[in-house]
Amino acid sequence: MSVLWQKRTHGVPRRRRQWERTVAIAIVALTLVVTLLILAYLTLVASNVRLARQIWEVGEAVMTQERVNEALRVEIARQSAIPRLQERSLALGFVPAEKVDFVRLDEEGGER
Amino acid sequence: MMRGPEARVRFITFLLIVVLMLLVMQLVRIQLLEHPAYAQEARALVERYYALPSPPWGLVTDRNGDLLVGNQPVFDVGAEVEMIGDPVAAAERLAPHLHRPVGEIVAALTLRPEEQERPFVWHPLAQGISQADAEALSALHLPWLTLTPSWRRVYPEGHLAAHLLGFVNAEGDGYGLLAYEQRLLRGERVVQMGEVTGSSAPMPEEAVSGFTMPYPGTTLRLTIDRTIQAFVEGELDKALHDYSAESGTIIVMDPRTGAILAMASRPVYEPEHYASYAKEDETSLFLDPAISLAYEPGSVFKLVTVAAALDAGVADLDWSYEDRGYLDYGGIRVYNWDRRAYGQQDLEGLLAHSLNVGAATLATQALGAERFYDYVRAFGFGQTTGIELMEEAPGILRVPGDWQWKDSDLATNAFGQGIAVTPLQMATAVAAIANDGRLMTPYVVAERRYPDGRVVPILPREAGRPISARTARTMWTLMARAVEREVPQAQVPGYRIAGKTGTAQIPVEGGYDPEAIVASFVGFGPIPDPQLLVFVKLDRPHVPPEMRWGSTTAAPVFRRVASRLFTLLHIPPSEAAEGP
Repeated sequence: MSVLWQKRTHGVPRRRRQWERTVAIAIVALTLVVTLLILAYLTLVASNVRLARQIWEVGEAVMTQERVNEALRVEIARQSAIPRLQERSLALGFVPAEKVDFVRLDEEGGER
Repeated sequence: MMRGPEARVRFITFLLIVVLMLLVMQLVRIQLLEHPAYAQEARALVERYYALPSPPWGLVTDRNGDLLVGNQPVFDVGAEVEMIGDPVAAAERLAPHLHRPVGEIVAALTLRPEEQERPFVWHPLAQGISQADAEALSALHLPWLTLTPSWRRVYPEGHLAAHLLGFVNAEGDGYGLLAYEQRLLRGERVVQMGEVTGSSAPMPEEAVSGFTMPYPGTTLRLTIDRTIQAFVEGELDKALHDYSAESGTIIVMDPRTGAILAMASRPVYEPEHYASYAKEDETSLFLDPAISLAYEPGSVFKLVTVAAALDAGVADLDWSYEDRGYLDYGGIRVYNWDRRAYGQQDLEGLLAHSLNVGAATLATQALGAERFYDYVRAFGFGQTTGIELMEEAPGILRVPGDWQWKDSDLATNAFGQGIAVTPLQMATAVAAIANDGRLMTPYVVAERRYPDGRVVPILPREAGRPISARTARTMWTLMARAVEREVPQAQVPGYRIAGKTGTAQIPVEGGYDPEAIVASFVGFGPIPDPQLLVFVKLDRPHVPPEMRWGSTTAAPVFRRVASRLFTLLHIPPSEAAEGP
């Protein structure tokens, strides 16, 4: 009990001592709970921000991969485009077909 | 009255309480009373409209899934101009990577007088910058420079099917399929308000605070086959070279469904570089002659006249007339193409000899104007076919009641003069004959593939039944006999072909050009199970006059195309189809 309180009570300890202790404990407990809640909240916010960052990075990575994918798709299509295939076929020694005929097979599979 | 320490303590307590009250009042004022204003001010500092990177456009593939139009990842570059200290120095650093003259960049980096008072000024600097240039620009670490991921449409096959595919410019205008289907193909761009970083990029928290993910475009699988398309374009180029023709069109269609397998026109352009054609004032190249440019079809149109007469019951295979080489009707005299008189002729002779007098006789004396034009409209002339391509023209069809229509038009329209149709209209109408009288809407999109995985096939659509199946089969016979008798150049060994030549004059001011013609041939086969229709048109072939006919120019092209396509499409010969 402080000097001030003692003076206010003329040096006679109050009977509410037990009650004051209970209040003090309650206040401390409340403070602890509030602190814990604040900590939990801050932890949650921090976690959210971290998760948001991760989502953002994953989104960016997906977008980058999609762009690479599209670029590759176009490149593959360019390499397999008909003018390119013609060029490569000629380089390999193929010549354009001049005359195409059906080969007719009889029921036994023999040519007729 | 208190003195000493207690009074001081009380005084200090009072002061602390007053200060605390003041603080509380301030908090109440700021957090409650003036909260909206401060919140707005705070938002104004950190929030901006930001655009998420554009999603890619939908792809366009041929019927086998080969890519015809894709997306090349590029970057758009801009600058927050109010943050730039020395525009000239900045421009010199940017120029090598933006591929623009320094002067242009300086102009783009300089604040305009009307922008001096604005807090944030952003100017675009360049579009379509490559990945390498974007990385080089990023390495400059310029805080005011913005690099926005974007896309550029690319055509891996070059000018293959250029008219059919077309393009869309930045304003959303364009030609061909891409312009027609741009609402499907274009992904949804997301622009929204939110917290941004110093470089105007959205804060990572925005990822969880609910922004909408961009929605990519729908992929379209077409009915065309790139192999057939390439072959047809090669044949068209060869024909233009061999006959010194100015332009031309070839359409390959499945008459049973209306599916376009190939559609090629010349002259052509590179759709990927459409802007350079626009700069050179060559925008006329963008119009697809197959659907946008009408021509007088000439003798091919006699098919419509004969089919109408057969279907209306005013003529049959026994019908005949006396061909005197000319017919007077409506104040004009109609002659045969060679000005000869052919004597007694039936429908087969009319088609085989391509007699103008016979067609005019059928229309004027057997059918009459009302029935003739009813059939012409039922075959789809005078209206667009409904194909999914931009800028389709309806052609020109004058009917009784129109102020421009004259009696003589009935006689000339019967053999394809005085009427203008597009090549696609003509091919579609003849396809109706091949398809037992069912007129199918021509189409090029076989399937839509939505980004959510749904696949929606596009089914063939019947647009009408201009003639009965019986009439159509009679027409097959007449057309096949006509080819066998008069157009051996169009015959394909092993396959029975039904077809018709056309040699049309080109209208000029005050009449027809005596030197120029449009040579055409349309045919289908194999009879009796037509699975393929090929339409060939060559404009102004510069060949000797004796060769200036559809039978000598367009028909051989038809034969080359049809014979190869029968093989490519695994269509057995007529003999096999008819059975032993």
